Amino acid sequence: MSTRGHEAELFETDVLIIGGGVTGTGVMRDLALRGIRCLLIDRRDLNAGASGGNHGLLHSGGRYASADTETATECRQEGAILKRLAAECIDDCGGLFVAVEGDDIDYAERFPERCAAAGIPCEPLTPAAARELEPGLSDKAFAVYQVPDATVDPFRLTLENVNHAQQLSDSQYLPHTEVTDFEMDDHGAITATLCRNNRSGELRRIRASQVVNAGGAWAMEIARMAGCSDVSLIYSKGTLIISNIRLSDRVINRLRPPGDGDILVPGGTVSVLGTTSDNVESLERIRPTVDEVERNLAQGAMMMPRLDHTRFIRAFSGVRPLLQASGAGSDGRKASRGFTLFDHESQGLSNFATITGGKLTTFRLMAEKTGDLVAARLGVDTPCRTATEPLPSGDAIRWTEPGFAARYWYNRRDPKDMILCECEMVPQSAIDQIVEAAPGAEEKMSLEAIGLRSRVGKGSCQGSFCAIRVGSYLYERGVYDSPDGLRQMRNFVDGRFKGVRPVLWGEQMTQMELAEALHCGLMGLDKIGSNEPGSGE
Amino acid sequence: MQQKPRAYEVQLAVIGSGLAGFAASIFALERGLSTAQVGNTGAVAYTTGYLDLLGYHPVTGQQMLHDPWQGLETLRRDEPGHPYALIRNDEIADAFHLFTRAVSDMGVNYSAPGENNLAALTPSGTFKPTLSVPLTMLPGVEAHRRAARTRIVDILGLKGFSAREVVANLQDSWPGLSAVTINFPGMESGSQVYPEVMARALQVPAERELFAQQLREVAGDAEYLGLPAIMGIHEPDAVHNDLERLSGLRLFEIPTMPPAVAGIRLREAFEQIFPERGLLLIPQQKVDRVTPEADGTTLRLKDSYGDVSIHAQAVILATGRFLSGGLEALRDGVREALLNLPVTQPEGREAWYRERYFDPRGHLVNRAGIEIDPQFRPLGRDGKPASKRLFAAGVILAHQDWIRQRCGAGIAIASAYKAVESAAAMLTRQT
Amino acid sequence: MTGTPVVDPIIDFRARAEELLPEGASYDACLSCGLCSSGCPASGLEGMNPRQFIRMAMLGMNEELSTTPWIWTCTQCQRCTYVCPMSIDIPALVGMARGAWPWEKKPKGIVRSCQAQLRFSSTSAMGLRSEDFIEIVDEIAAEVREQDDRFKRLNVPIDKQGARFFINQNSREPAVEPEELGPLWKIFDYVGADWTYASKGWAAENFCMFTGDAAAWEEMVRKRVDAVNELGCKVWVNTECGHSFYTIWKGIQRFGLEANFELGNLISYYAQWIREGRLPVNSEWNRDNLKFTIQDPCQLVRKSIGDPVASDLRYVARKLVGEENVIDMQPCRSANYCCGGGGGFLQAGMTENRRAYGKRKFDQIMATQADYVLTPCHNCHSQMEDIGEHYGGHYRVVHYWTLICLSLGILGENERKYLGPDLAEIGLQS
Repeated sequence: MSTRGHEAELFETDVLIIGGGVTGTGVMRDLALRGIRCLLIDRRDLNAGASGGNHGLLHSGGRYASADTETATECRQEGAILKRLAAECIDDCGGLFVAVEGDDIDYAERFPERCAAAGIPCEPLTPAAARELEPGLSDKAFAVYQVPDATVDPFRLTLENVNHAQQLSDSQYLPHTEVTDFEMDDHGAITATLCRNNRSGELRRIRASQVVNAGGAWAMEIARMAGCSDVSLIYSKGTLIISNIRLSDRVINRLRPPGDGDILVPGGTVSVLGTTSDNVESLERIRPTVDEVERNLAQGAMMMPRLDHTRFIRAFSGVRPLLQASGAGSDGRKASRGFTLFDHESQGLSNFATITGGKLTTFRLMAEKTGDLVAARLGVDTPCRTATEPLPSGDAIRWTEPGFAARYWYNRRDPKDMILCECEMVPQSAIDQIVEAAPGAEEKMSLEAIGLRSRVGKGSCQGSFCAIRVGSYLYERGVYDSPDGLRQMRNFVDGRFKGVRPVLWGEQMTQMELAEALHCGLMGLDKIGSNEPGSGE
Repeated sequence: MQQKPRAYEVQLAVIGSGLAGFAASIFALERGLSTAQVGNTGAVAYTTGYLDLLGYHPVTGQQMLHDPWQGLETLRRDEPGHPYALIRNDEIADAFHLFTRAVSDMGVNYSAPGENNLAALTPSGTFKPTLSVPLTMLPGVEAHRRAARTRIVDILGLKGFSAREVVANLQDSWPGLSAVTINFPGMESGSQVYPEVMARALQVPAERELFAQQLREVAGDAEYLGLPAIMGIHEPDAVHNDLERLSGLRLFEIPTMPPAVAGIRLREAFEQIFPERGLLLIPQQKVDRVTPEADGTTLRLKDSYGDVSIHAQAVILATGRFLSGGLEALRDGVREALLNLPVTQPEGREAWYRERYFDPRGHLVNRAGIEIDPQFRPLGRDGKPASKRLFAAGVILAHQDWIRQRCGAGIAIASAYKAVESAAAMLTRQT
Repeated sequence: MTGTPVVDPIIDFRARAEELLPEGASYDACLSCGLCSSGCPASGLEGMNPRQFIRMAMLGMNEELSTTPWIWTCTQCQRCTYVCPMSIDIPALVGMARGAWPWEKKPKGIVRSCQAQLRFSSTSAMGLRSEDFIEIVDEIAAEVREQDDRFKRLNVPIDKQGARFFINQNSREPAVEPEELGPLWKIFDYVGADWTYASKGWAAENFCMFTGDAAAWEEMVRKRVDAVNELGCKVWVNTECGHSFYTIWKGIQRFGLEANFELGNLISYYAQWIREGRLPVNSEWNRDNLKFTIQDPCQLVRKSIGDPVASDLRYVARKLVGEENVIDMQPCRSANYCCGGGGGFLQAGMTENRRAYGKRKFDQIMATQADYVLTPCHNCHSQMEDIGEHYGGHYRVVHYWTLICLSLGILGENERKYLGPDLAEIGLQS
C-alpha cells in the first residue's frame, strides 16, 4: 500500500480520514462495511482529543431534554443502538437526576414532561428510595428521577472500530501522522495530502479519492488548511476528575441547567466527576487546572458529599468542538451539541468533507451521514450497515475496560503471567497481545501507546511503578534496545503527571513524592541523555 | 480489662524512623543520652541504599558534581536558606563518618565517605552521584571506572529489573558489558520472585553454594557480575564475601525498584541493634500527640497493645515529608502533621508544581517545609523557636529539594547531627 | 485444597472495609508498593498475594475475593500491616472473607475444632471434657509427686477461688502428651505461685477465631472471661501458646466484654521470676555450647504485646542457654516471619501450601545454624518440626518450660520427648 520515494513515503487509498477519534474511526468502519478502503491518520494517536477527554457517558438524552429535544431524541435512539451492537463496551448502569436544596424547583418539576417529549423513560423516586439505591447521595436531595443512562468505554469503541475496519478491507491506521498541507488540482479536488510522522520526522504523501476531516476540535484548522472557511467552531474546554474507586453504581446527574461538577459517571472501577466548560482560544497546552478541579468538587460535593474526602488520582481535559450557530452566542454550554457534515462544495471543493460537533453518543450517526456522502461521491451504493452489524471484539483490544485485566488474569491462573501494572492488575500477556496486534501497534511501541490501549498507568499509582516495570519488560522482550526506552518511560510519566498535578493533595501527594523519588532518585529520568558519568572526573 | 499503662522517661525522644530519625538515635546513643525513638517507616522503605550528599548544583545542572564539598560551598552562597547553610563541611563530614561507621558496626557496611562523589549504578543503567554506598554495591563503581568485562545478571520472575535494560543504556560507554538471565535455585517456576525472598534464602550457606554455582556457569569471561540487590539482608557483606569466595568472581549489587532490600536491611539492623544498646524503640507506630509540660514534653501514642506515653526532656522531630507523614497536603495548603508548626510553602496548589514533571528546576512544593533557627529549633508563627525543647531534622526542613538535588541522606544525617548536638547542649544547660 | 465454594452473599469488601477501619488507616492510601507481598510467606500460594488481595478489593472483585482459598493460607499474622508504610490492615479483610465462607466449605479441620469448642464447657478444641481433664491432671500430678521427692507436695489446684493466677491450658498436653504438663506445674511450685486451673473455660486454643466467625469467637472468649470472673482471679495467664493470648486480649476489646482481671503472659512471668531470683536458672548444663534460636510467635509478639515480650523471650533464653548461645533469627521480634502453623493452617489440610509457606521459616532457622528452636507456642512448635523434617533440617523444637526445668535440674526423664540425645541425660537424678 505504500512505497518509499526519495523524499516522502507514498500511500494510496480510496478515502483518507483525518482524526483518530470516535468519529473518524466510526467513519473508517462505516466505509469499510461498504467495502471501501480507508487510511486513517492522527497527529497523535487514537482518542487523543475529545473522544478520550470525556466522561464516557452514553446519554439517555436526559441531560438535553430540558433544552434541546432534538439532540435528546438522537441520544436516546443512538444509545439504544449501541447498547445492542456494542454491549461489551457498555455498562448499562442506569442514571439518576438529582435536585438538591437550592436548585430550581420549577426546572426539576418540568423534567419528566421534557423527557416524555423526547421519548425518554423517566421514573420519579422518593429521595429516601434514591438513597437506598445510592447511599452516597446527599440528604439534601429533594427530587430524584431515574433514567436509562449508561456508560461507554470510548477507547474500546475506537479500537473496535479500527480493528473491524482493518479486518473488513485493506484499511490501515497510521498514528503520529499530522497533516501539513493539501495539494489541489484546478478543479477543486485534493490530489494529495502531505503529512509528517511526528515520531520519526519523516514525510508522508497520501493520495486518496476522498478526504474526510474528522479532526474534532482541530477540524476548523484542517478545513482552513484546505482553503475552507465554512467551518466555525467554539473551543469549549471541559475538565473532569477521576476517583480512586467507584463511588456510585449509577450515573448521578444534577437536575438543573448544566454547570460545573454536575455529573458523576462510574467507569468500571472508578468514577469520573465533571464537567467544567470554559471557552478557549487555542488548542495548544490544554491541561486541567487546580481551579477547574475545585469548581467541580465544590458543586459535586453538594450532590455527593463524600466527594469532599475522596482520593482523586487524576484530572483530564478535553476540548469540545461546538459549532458556532447563529444566536447561540459564545456560551459553550448553550451552544448546540448537534453535529454538522460539511461537503465544502460551497467552498469549491469536490472531494473533501468535514464532520464535526456532536457527541460520543451520536458518533455512529455522524459516521453514517459522512459515509453516505463519501460513498455517493465514490459511486458506491452499498448502504450503511452500522445500525445492524454488531461491533466485534478481539484479543488485543479488550484491555481498556477497567477491571477486565484483573479478572482475566485471576481466572487464567497462570503463575508465569506476571502482573506488570499492579494497581489495575495488567499482566504481561496483555502487553504481549497489544504490542503484537493492537490497532496502531508499532515496532518500538511507546509506553504511552500501550497505556492508551490498556489500563497501564491508569490506577492509583499513575505510573509510579508500572512505567518502570513495563519498561523493563519491553527491554527484556527486545522491544526496546537503546536509551530510547528510558525516554519512553520519561514521556509516559510526564504525560501522567499532567493529569495528576491538579489533584495532588492527601494520599495522591504521598504517591507523587514516592513517584518522583523513584523516577528521579532511582531511575535518573530527570537527567537522561546528559547524565554521562565520568565527565566531571 | 485492666491493663497497666506504659510510661517511659527519657532525656531525648526522636519522632520518626526514617534515615534522619535513625541517625539522630545513633548520635544520641554516642553521646550517652537516654533515648526513645518512635515512628513508622515511610520513605526509608524505598531507599536505594545510597547515601547522597549533594549530586547536582545548580539543580538544573546536567553534570553530576564531582566534588560535592566544593558544591556545598557554592550551594550555601546560592541558597542561603538551604539546611546545609547551617552546617559546616567539617561537621557534615563528621556526621557522615559517624553514621557510616555506626551502620557498618550494625552489619551493613558502607564505603568511607570520600572527597568525591561516586557514580553509582541504577537499574535503568544510569548513574547516581552519591557519597557513600553499601560495600555490596561498591565493586560496581570500580567495574565501571575500569570498564572491566562485566556481565549484568537478571533473574527469571524478578519484575522491574532487566539486565538488557542496564546494558542497552550503558553499552556506549562500557563496551565490555553483557546481559544474562538466570534462575534462582529453588524458584525456577517462572512465577514472581522477590528480592527480599531471594536475599533471605541466601542467608543459608547451602543456598549460597547452589547460587554461586549458577553464577559460575553464566559468567563466561566476565571478571565482574552485576546482580540485582539480593545478597542477604542481615549482614549482607558476609553473604557477599561468601558468594565471591564460592564463585571466584567479583560481584556487585545494583539497587532495584520497590519492594527492594536496601531499606529493609537498614531497618532490620536498627530494629535489632538499637534495643540491645538500650534505646527504647517503638517501631512502626506514629505519635498521636505531643504535650509540652513544665518539666519536659510528653509524647502519647497507641501501639498494637494500647496506650504508651514517653516523657522526654528534649524532642527531635524527624517525621519526614508527605510520604512519611510529617507533612500533610490538604486542598488548601500544606501543614505540619504533628504539631501544626508553620510551613513555608508556595501560595495555592496551582503554584506547587511546575507544568512539566521533569522541569529541571524541580517543583516548588518540594522546597516547602518548616523553618529552623541555627540550633535546629523549629520556628513558630511568631518567628521564634516554638519550644526550647524541640529540634528538627531531615527532609521536613524547608528550602531544599532532596530528590532533585540528590541530597536526602545528607540532609537527614547532617541535620540529625546538628539537632542532637543542640539538644545535648540544652540538656547540659538544664542540669 | 477445599475447592471453590459458592458464597452468598458476596461481601462488598470495600464498603465493609470503610466501616471497619480504625482511624487513620485507609485502604485507599495503598501506594501499590508491594512491601506487603515481598514480606509475606503466603505470597504466590493459590496464585495470590496481599497486594493483589487489596488491589482486587479496590477494583471491586468481591466474588473472587469471597471465594479464593488463599484466605486459608494467609495466617493473618499481620506482618504485611507491620511493614506497610501506610499501616494497611489486610488481615482484617481476610478475616471478613473467612467469616463469609459457608461452614460446609471452610476447611474441615478448623471447623471441627471450633465445633468441639462450642460443644463443651471446657472450650477444648480437642473435645476434651472437663471431667476428663481433671482426671488426667490428677493422675499426672500423682505421678509427678511420686517420681520426684522435691515435688511430693505438688498441688494442682482446680477452681481455687481467689487464686492470683488463672492458668489456661492448651488441650494438646492433657489430650495427647500429658507428661508434658509436669514441667509447668513444677515451675509454679518452685516459685510458690498462687494459681489455679478451672473446670470450665480452661482451654487455651480458639479455632472459632480462625473460622472467621466473630460470634463463635466471642462465645469462646465470653466463656473464658466468665470463668475467670467467677473465680475472682487477679491475672489470667496464657500457657506457652501464642494465639491463646491474642484471642482473649483482642476478643475482650473487640466484643466489649467485662473482664475484672489483668491479662498476663507466662514468658514475662518467667523473666520476672528469674530477675527476682525465684527461678535461679543458669546455663552451666549447656557444656557443649549448643546453639538456640527463638521463634517469636506472631500472636503474642507482633499482634499483641510487641517488642517488650520479645525482649523477655530473649532474656529468659540467654539466662537458660548462655548469652553467646542464643542466635537470633533474622528478622525477629515484631518483624519475625510467621512460621505457617497459625491461623488454623496446621488444621486446614493444605499441607503442600503450608510447607511452601514454611520454607521461609526453614531458611531463617537454617541461617542461624542453631541446634534448637525455642518457642512458647504449640502451633509454631508443630509447624517448625514438620518443616524441619520435610526440608531436611536437623534442629529440634522445645518449649521454654522444658529448658527451665532442665536448668533447674527438675526435668523428669519422661518430660524429655523434645530433647535430642545431646540433652537426654543432662541433669537426670541418678
